[in-house]
Amino acid sequence: MSNMEPSCDTSKKGLVFNIQRFSVNDGPGVRTIAFLNGCPLRCKWCCNPESQELKPVVMFKAQNCVGCGNCEVVCPTGASNLNVPGKIDHTKCIACGKCIDVCYHRALEMSGKWMTVEELMGELYKDRVIYRKSGGGITVSGGEAMVQHEFLLELLKACKSFGWTTAIETTGMASEEVIKEIVPWLDVVMMDIKHIDPEVHKEYTGVSNEQILKNALLISSLAKKMIIRVPVIPGFNASPNVIAAIAKFTTYLHNVNELHLLPYHDLGSNKYGMLGKEYELADVQKPENEFMEELKAIVEKEGLTCKIGG
Amino acid sequence: MIAKGFTEPTARIKALKAEVVNAVPEVEPYRAVLITESYKETEGMPAVMRRAKANEKIFNNLPVVIRDNELIVGALSVKPRSTNLCPEFSFDWVEKEFKTMATRMCDPFVITEETADILHEVFKYWKGKTTSELATSYMSQDCLDCQAGGVFTVGNYYFGGIGHVCVDYGKVLKIGFKGVIAEVVEAMNKLDANDPEYLQKRAFYEAVIISYNAAINFAKRYSKKAAEMAATCTDPVRKAELLQISKNCDRVPENGATNFYEACQSFWFVQALVQIEANGHSISPGRFDQYMWPYLEADKSISKEFAQELLDCLFVLLNHVNKTRDDVSDQAFAGYAVFQNFGVGGQTEDGLDATNPVSYMCMDAAAHVRLPAPSFSVRIHNQTPDEFLLRACELARLGTGVPAMYNDEAIIPALCNRGLTLADARNYCIIGCVEPQCPHKTDGWHDAAFFNVAKVFDIAIHGGKNRDGKQLGPVTKPMPEWKSMDDLYEAYETQIEYFVSKLVEADNAVDIAHKERAPLPFMSALVDDCIGRGKTVMEGGAIYNFTGPQAFGNVDTGDAIYCIKKHVFEDKDLTMQQIYDAMEHNFGAELGAGCYDGPFVRLSTDSAEPAAAAMESVSVSSEDSMESIINAVVQKILAEKGSNLSMSVDTKSEACTSCSDAQRAEYDRIRHILDATPCFGNDIDEVDMCARKATQVYSHEVEKYKNPRGGQYQAGCYPVSANVLFGKDVQALPDGRYSNAPLADGVSPRQGHDVKGPTAAGNSVAKLDQLNISNGTLYNQKFLPSAVAGDQGLLNFAAVVRNYFDKKGMHVQFNVIDRETLLDAQAHPENYKDLVVRVAGYSAHWTVLAKEVQDDIIARTEQHF
Repeated sequence: MSNMEPSCDTSKKGLVFNIQRFSVNDGPGVRTIAFLNGCPLRCKWCCNPESQELKPVVMFKAQNCVGCGNCEVVCPTGASNLNVPGKIDHTKCIACGKCIDVCYHRALEMSGKWMTVEELMGELYKDRVIYRKSGGGITVSGGEAMVQHEFLLELLKACKSFGWTTAIETTGMASEEVIKEIVPWLDVVMMDIKHIDPEVHKEYTGVSNEQILKNALLISSLAKKMIIRVPVIPGFNASPNVIAAIAKFTTYLHNVNELHLLPYHDLGSNKYGMLGKEYELADVQKPENEFMEELKAIVEKEGLTCKIGG
Repeated sequence: MIAKGFTEPTARIKALKAEVVNAVPEVEPYRAVLITESYKETEGMPAVMRRAKANEKIFNNLPVVIRDNELIVGALSVKPRSTNLCPEFSFDWVEKEFKTMATRMCDPFVITEETADILHEVFKYWKGKTTSELATSYMSQDCLDCQAGGVFTVGNYYFGGIGHVCVDYGKVLKIGFKGVIAEVVEAMNKLDANDPEYLQKRAFYEAVIISYNAAINFAKRYSKKAAEMAATCTDPVRKAELLQISKNCDRVPENGATNFYEACQSFWFVQALVQIEANGHSISPGRFDQYMWPYLEADKSISKEFAQELLDCLFVLLNHVNKTRDDVSDQAFAGYAVFQNFGVGGQTEDGLDATNPVSYMCMDAAAHVRLPAPSFSVRIHNQTPDEFLLRACELARLGTGVPAMYNDEAIIPALCNRGLTLADARNYCIIGCVEPQCPHKTDGWHDAAFFNVAKVFDIAIHGGKNRDGKQLGPVTKPMPEWKSMDDLYEAYETQIEYFVSKLVEADNAVDIAHKERAPLPFMSALVDDCIGRGKTVMEGGAIYNFTGPQAFGNVDTGDAIYCIKKHVFEDKDLTMQQIYDAMEHNFGAELGAGCYDGPFVRLSTDSAEPAAAAMESVSVSSEDSMESIINAVVQKILAEKGSNLSMSVDTKSEACTSCSDAQRAEYDRIRHILDATPCFGNDIDEVDMCARKATQVYSHEVEKYKNPRGGQYQAGCYPVSANVLFGKDVQALPDGRYSNAPLADGVSPRQGHDVKGPTAAGNSVAKLDQLNISNGTLYNQKFLPSAVAGDQGLLNFAAVVRNYFDKKGMHVQFNVIDRETLLDAQAHPENYKDLVVRVAGYSAHWTVLAKEVQDDIIARTEQHF
């Protein structure tokens, strides 16, 4: 760990909500994914809702709660309240963590931890051998990792000082300056394009896609390798027309010939309850395999390599 | 594509395999009758000569059986997958199980009434004459008490033969049994009558000659039988096969093999005869690809398909070898396991990659046959071709639990540290579960004992007292008086020191008993340098001699130590007394929390009712009482010749139901804190160092001792499946584990406690200073099939292996099967008759495993990729 690049500021702090080792579906080889907090989008299907704000958040697991009330006693702001759905009033919570210390049944847990680049590197470093053996490395995800671009930049520099491959899973939502700063440090950019229609995009993600589509062009001109990913969400974009339009758009990008279709899943839906939020897509069904194959064929018609799943 | 796929086996192989799958194992009387007759005739002769005469009688009279479709012959039993007994080691447990063995929980065997009557008569002769009884007479009362108290058991060799050897198959292939006899005659001619050991040496040589002469005749009887069967056979194809079999058995193993088919047949006779001579398990073929390849390479007439079919036949045949153990030991070795470890790959004595076409053909054979035997191993070093490792991963991905993978880069230096030459260390093979040794130069005594480190820590917590209140170990400060980590370690180390010394006493007693009563001439002549030294392996004839007792519960102990370190001394959120009180009340839970369902009955030393009577008082037909029977039998076996025992319902459960609701809540709170403490298996240095130290305390103590054969003790770390059974003997621990719950599986993290993925778990395990655990370590990982799908899945799988091995892990094995499949197999065993899973150092048919062992396998963390 003493071999960090001199220009890299390893004391920079970032908010990290998960470090997932042994990831094999997000970039080449065996990778560690660092999930960074903060996101400008509010996608209705978001599977990491705890990551959206750039602050730690207390999550509540109802099945573990025995109703002992310890949390209420220690809470300095009155945010912890057994009568509130989700037990935590997030408008009052300051994420001090006192309730978690006294929750012996582990019904409460903190998501999001401020870490220095050096601390995070210490975790990433533990799998350095398998990065080498498998051609893997680091993937940053989120949230939108570029929200914390200062931290991200130092992190990527540090990774490069070890020669690891770097990848990002991104919404593409960032300023041009940030993109120009970050993308050169990445070996692979996996960017979502969720919809072509700005209005529909805004309705389901909270933002228009104009900046995103513009950024896609910019990134494609800067990136060593770029893959477009489309989460296939029934009721939003799961139609041959929309997918065909996204595929067509992809062909206009520089040197991009791969598009992945990620079928909708509801693995994150339980987290909404843990945050005292409602999951709006509760009635949405996962797309059928046959339908996904149909969409794949549409993408391939545009001359793109298409994979279902990441 | 990287994945090459596997072909279907031939119709012959399918038929041979079906015979194994559908077999109902039976106990047969033949060998027991023959050895008893022989022993009656040889009273007064030297032990080695008596064994030789017994060999002669058995080899000349054991029924000759050639099964339909067989290309390679030589049967250990008349019925498929059945067994003969060796009453010369111990017999009383069989007698007790005459009526229950067919219905017992683990590894049932049918004993017909007729066989039971015959055996009953035979056993009368052996009273007072077994190795087991002699070993007991050598042990002190303290030593017996430790075993009765469940600290360790030396049951393996206490009740059966030693086995655990890889004999010199290559020598037999080359010079035949006639060549072995010639070597002995030459050695005899060189004997100096003035040598003080002259008479013993001469007796040994004569014993070898008698044994090998009879062994040649064993094969000739097969030759004759095959010829007779050919004469009456109407199917011209089978007739030709039988004539070929007859010809082969006439030639080998008497002479060296002249082609690949003869080499296979000769190999099999050696494998069979060693296991007819005695019942020690883990008779391991070792580096099969190395000694077989020259015969295939030179055989210009054999087709690739036929050579493959012969190998497949051998893989099936290995499954006909079966042994019965007492009910308790069979739980520890669940699944009719006989541990014939069969290895390929690795490097040559001069350090070059050793893989050859036979290495790959054996992988195909394993895929074709998919039966529990052999325990199939591959050796990996940093120059192993990727092609070989990827093929091994492809085989592992089939989900049969094989191959187990071994790391040359860790094992070779570990063996050099035990005094092997570099060339001998490079030539290592695997014996039994996971134990490395130099083939045909080693008497490894690898399964010398199960040593329950967690039990020792439990005793240390209680100041040297066992759970019944008896002072079993030396008096040390009990847990509430530990004022520092030094106090803790002092108590733990003092107890380890004491119990290891008693373990050594027990093992050496058994060792001496085998030397005095069961020196085995047939096996010894194929181990260097028995012929040169003129003595059997039991007398120290091997070049390398070890005794390897294996520990388990060390990971639990490490986690327990870390919990105390963190909560009492660092965070100071709990006091020593608080944790102790909570543990004493089993964290406020009923005894049996975290355990398997079923009533728990244990034995105490308070009353005078003998254990045997207690056992009989339990109805065997009731499912519910199985648990209590098991415990009764455990205690019985551990207590052989120990104190009077009787059944009593554990008083602990009364104690914890008697505590108030407030106390119970408080104890439960403490357990939650302890259970939430970071633990081994998540790649956290400060935690993992505690498990490392707990393990090192054991391994460094063990290696101080010498055995009667002049060799060193060395620690191993693998539980087979004993971690479930022996967990029942351990009270609540400071890591939040409930009393009697299963312990961690070998060096693996505690079940369900490794949550950071396979590399984190592997990194933790690799921190255990495995090079000092040179008798072998065992690490299980379970993957879902989806996790290793596709070519990228194979590459990642291989990377997992390379990663773990880079970090000096010694062994890793994989169950690639999903949880739903296992649960379904548990519910509908009839649909999963051929499901094979990796249990520990071996694979077994799922359906024959006890529910508890099945549960344990399901509980092992699934690693999601």
